Amino acid sequence: MNRAEILHANFISRVQASDFPETAIALRPAEVGLSDAEVADLFESQLMSRHLDLVSRRLSARGESFYTIGSTGHEGNAAFGKAFRITDMAFLHYRSCAFMTQRSKQLPGQTPLYDTLLSFSASSDDPIAGGRHKVFGSKSLLVPPQTSTIASHLPKAMGAAHAVGLAAKLRQVKATMPRDSVVVCNFGDASANHSTAQGAINTAGWTAYQGLPMPIVFICEDNGIGISTQTPPGWIKACFENRAGIKYVACDGLNILDTYKAAVEVLAYTRKTRKPVFLHCRMLRLAGHAGSDVETTYLSREQLETSEAQDPLLHTARILVENNILSATQVCSLYSELEERIARIAEIAIARPKLMTAAAVMASISPLRNVIRPVLAVAEAARTETFAADQRLLEKPQHMARLIGLALADIMLQYSNAVICGEDVGKKGGVYGVTNGLIEKFGRARVVNTLLDEQSILGLAIGLAHNGFLPIPEIQFLAYVHNAEDQIRGEAATLSFFSSGQFANGMVIRIAGLAYQKGFGGHFHNDNSFNVFRDIPGLIVACPSNGRDAVQMLRACVALAHEQQRVVIFLEPIALYMTRDLYLPDDGLWAATYAAPGVGSAIEFGEAGVTGEGEDLCILTYANGYYLSLKAARSLEEQYGKLCRVVDLRWLLPLNEDTIVAITSECKSILIVDECRRTGSVGEQLMTLLVERGVTAPAARVTAENSFIPLAAAANLLLPGVDSIVAAALAVMAVEQP
Amino acid sequence: MRAKAVVVCPGRGTYGQAELGYLQKHHADKVEFIAGIDRYRERQGQTTVSALDQMSSFKPSMHTTGDNASALIYACAIADFQSIDQEKFDIVAITGNSMGWYIALACADALRRETALQVVNTMGTLMHNEAIGGQVVYPLVNEQWQNDPALQANVSKTIEGLNKQPDVEIYTSINLGGMLLLAANARGVKLLLKHLPPQQNRYPFALPNHAAFHSPLVQPLSARAKSLLPAALFTQPDVPLIDGRGKIWQPCATDPDALYEYTFEHQVHHTYDFSKAIEVAVKEFAADRLIILGPGTTLAPPTAQVLIQQLWLGFSSRACFVQRQADDPFVLSMGRDEQREHVTKYSGSP
Repeated sequence: MNRAEILHANFISRVQASDFPETAIALRPAEVGLSDAEVADLFESQLMSRHLDLVSRRLSARGESFYTIGSTGHEGNAAFGKAFRITDMAFLHYRSCAFMTQRSKQLPGQTPLYDTLLSFSASSDDPIAGGRHKVFGSKSLLVPPQTSTIASHLPKAMGAAHAVGLAAKLRQVKATMPRDSVVVCNFGDASANHSTAQGAINTAGWTAYQGLPMPIVFICEDNGIGISTQTPPGWIKACFENRAGIKYVACDGLNILDTYKAAVEVLAYTRKTRKPVFLHCRMLRLAGHAGSDVETTYLSREQLETSEAQDPLLHTARILVENNILSATQVCSLYSELEERIARIAEIAIARPKLMTAAAVMASISPLRNVIRPVLAVAEAARTETFAADQRLLEKPQHMARLIGLALADIMLQYSNAVICGEDVGKKGGVYGVTNGLIEKFGRARVVNTLLDEQSILGLAIGLAHNGFLPIPEIQFLAYVHNAEDQIRGEAATLSFFSSGQFANGMVIRIAGLAYQKGFGGHFHNDNSFNVFRDIPGLIVACPSNGRDAVQMLRACVALAHEQQRVVIFLEPIALYMTRDLYLPDDGLWAATYAAPGVGSAIEFGEAGVTGEGEDLCILTYANGYYLSLKAARSLEEQYGKLCRVVDLRWLLPLNEDTIVAITSECKSILIVDECRRTGSVGEQLMTLLVERGVTAPAARVTAENSFIPLAAAANLLLPGVDSIVAAALAVMAVEQP
Repeated sequence: MRAKAVVVCPGRGTYGQAELGYLQKHHADKVEFIAGIDRYRERQGQTTVSALDQMSSFKPSMHTTGDNASALIYACAIADFQSIDQEKFDIVAITGNSMGWYIALACADALRRETALQVVNTMGTLMHNEAIGGQVVYPLVNEQWQNDPALQANVSKTIEGLNKQPDVEIYTSINLGGMLLLAANARGVKLLLKHLPPQQNRYPFALPNHAAFHSPLVQPLSARAKSLLPAALFTQPDVPLIDGRGKIWQPCATDPDALYEYTFEHQVHHTYDFSKAIEVAVKEFAADRLIILGPGTTLAPPTAQVLIQQLWLGFSSRACFVQRQADDPFVLSMGRDEQREHVTKYSGSP
């Protein structure tokens, strides 16, 4: 007999025998502000949660449920579901069934039992994930869904709390949450060790320590074990009791009255002070980590029975009986009625439709949205005022870094909910001065200088988007995004997928990257791999090669983030930031005069840039490769009489395959110039595309070597250069080289 | 094993010409229950329900006015509830439509029977004497009872336009499955009848002797009702109740004061979402049958329309529903003799 069934059998027999676990907490319902009916209501939610776990395991044995990581032992979180308002955004971990059930009672018309069973059985009727995953989420209850298995929801919860504070300052923003909201985020003791958790809690403290608003309650539901690894006794308290900027409160999650009392207290504190709290709540993990977990392989029978004797349901049953709210018989009747009721609902839920096609599964990755209206550019008068100090810049050609900065200023004017965030984006102007002057124009609330923690920067961005903002975070270097990539891969990019498109977090993530920097070498500042993004469904990667394009592409990206709620990576080639000349010193061909909104040719999503009409050779490239290929093309024409067309792909994910095939099909030879590593980079994808689409012209690649970028001139040994491009071009065209 | 059933209590407008004699026909065994209601009515100086039920002909001016219809429907519905064979059916939840909420409260024992009668009669009389405006019915589904988005969009647009006119107030009164009940002031009713495009040779039409129920237009009645009916009349229900928002009132977890507040505030002057109540009933209680109390049969189509909206048990159209009803009825309407037989252990005269 498995432990879940043992718990089940024990509950009735122990209640009937009035064999309740003892407690040192002598609280009465009225002392914590609960009526008798409210305690019974909390108990009902706890029972619902327990029976949902139980039925999921029984259905799993029949092959009808696909998720058995349960909430058994954590049912005390029903108290949080009651204490927090449904306008207090909740980022929940996977043991939150009682929380969710109780929260749903705040909004009439919810169907938590049916909905949860639909999610267990992966039905396409599941109102949040549509059968794509078992998640706790609800648009109407303001619970964004996520899997939460690696605490990756903490950075965005922290970000959402920061966004509540920002929305209070920026009244023009149509915020999702009311101004006095408090964000709630729960997680386990094992998850507290994740760097995501540590980083988010650190950032919350760092922010509050400066007196800035950070209205969040982190709830650590400490069950003392992470799968089979025990948390050292006292570890969570020792780690979090004295964190700068964060108030620590502990409660006994086995006692529903103590839990509710603590929840109300910390909520009142945070709502009033706007300061964060770490609520350490004792829980138990009963019936194993998941249905498949055989606890007896790492815990003794005595340890298991000791835990089971403290079943939180028995604690609440004791409170009900001792306070004459329900008799033991009534407790047992309620327990049995709910068991029967949930079993009935389960039989209907498992018969509901499932996802039947790949298209149906993928429909929510990046659904076409047509309800969000474009934001119009502001009137010229407002621009004149904002750009008053920039007149000289506006009149003369500028390099890409400056042009992106000017475009950002116009975007900030146009989108009143846009917020730029990142380390140094304030007075320093970001790592390469791109955001220079923006803090003076738009203030600290909209140009947010963060600490140097990429997980927190991206978490902040996601949280901002959850509260109605249009975030434009900056990551200093491409290599730095790798310690935070899951905030994009596992969180931002999956939000629409897991919520059937109901939640979205449109944003433009600006990242300075790629190689060829002359003065600043080494891998970490010249990383030439963005493959981390290339397989993320729904993500867009834009990569301009020059300032004129960058301005137009950035506008297109922001529109995609706003209107289509897409997550966009805007990859800015560092080496071309300050470049002004192309062929000759002072030719100024890589600089451009800034084009105000509505001026110049817009660049649409997917639109490539093509230079030349030659048919001898088509060079497919981007960023630095485009810059170098233009030089190479000139040599090929002047020295060998070969006419080229050079294609700046601009949009690297998704590739505009039809355009690429159409352009290359007109040429006799094709050369792919890819400044990223030979293995796994976009060049491989391009070559595959040409083959799969039957482009028969000979094709070759020039790429970077499979190496990290070294310091100084040694970098050039690994990267495509004009000479290597010319040589490869001649080879693919079968031109004999001198 | 007893079948699990959710009971659905009828609202106003369910006692029509065909129901004349309903008490006599089906509830001759409940002499004392009906006599108790009659005595109460006599004390109020009102026509007894027996007299109304036994009149030789149906008179809309007598049978459909709030002061009479409410008590008459209450008597029929409670008597039907008492007739459910509890050896065959385990009642797992109770809900109702509009005035049916008061009947649901009585069925679930959140109001004692005599108290419930007082509530029903008082509210019916208040609505009759003091309420203003009226209700207009209009369909939002096609003849197969499937949602018609174009029709819905058109209705919304028409209402939006009419509400911009001076002295017009139009609100959603009841979400009634595939039907929309609109509450409006007199001018609003007149304009709705004129501007809503005719549908199915019947709609739109105004319900006779109905006021602008479940809208801000009847908000003053809340205070009047609360002055006449104290909170102490309410207790915890014995069976889960599902209200006109889809909220479930669990027996042991119900605060009677909150139930009272809902009943005489939100329920009176906000939209009554019968569709949501039925949706919650089927999803959260997974009953084997829905039993609609009599009198009348008019609540069965809206109930079926909700089931079709939810694709419940595979119902996708009116034809599909009718087929299932013929084979093995899921919705048991006690106002229909052939379905009533499935529900009662006793039927007909003693």
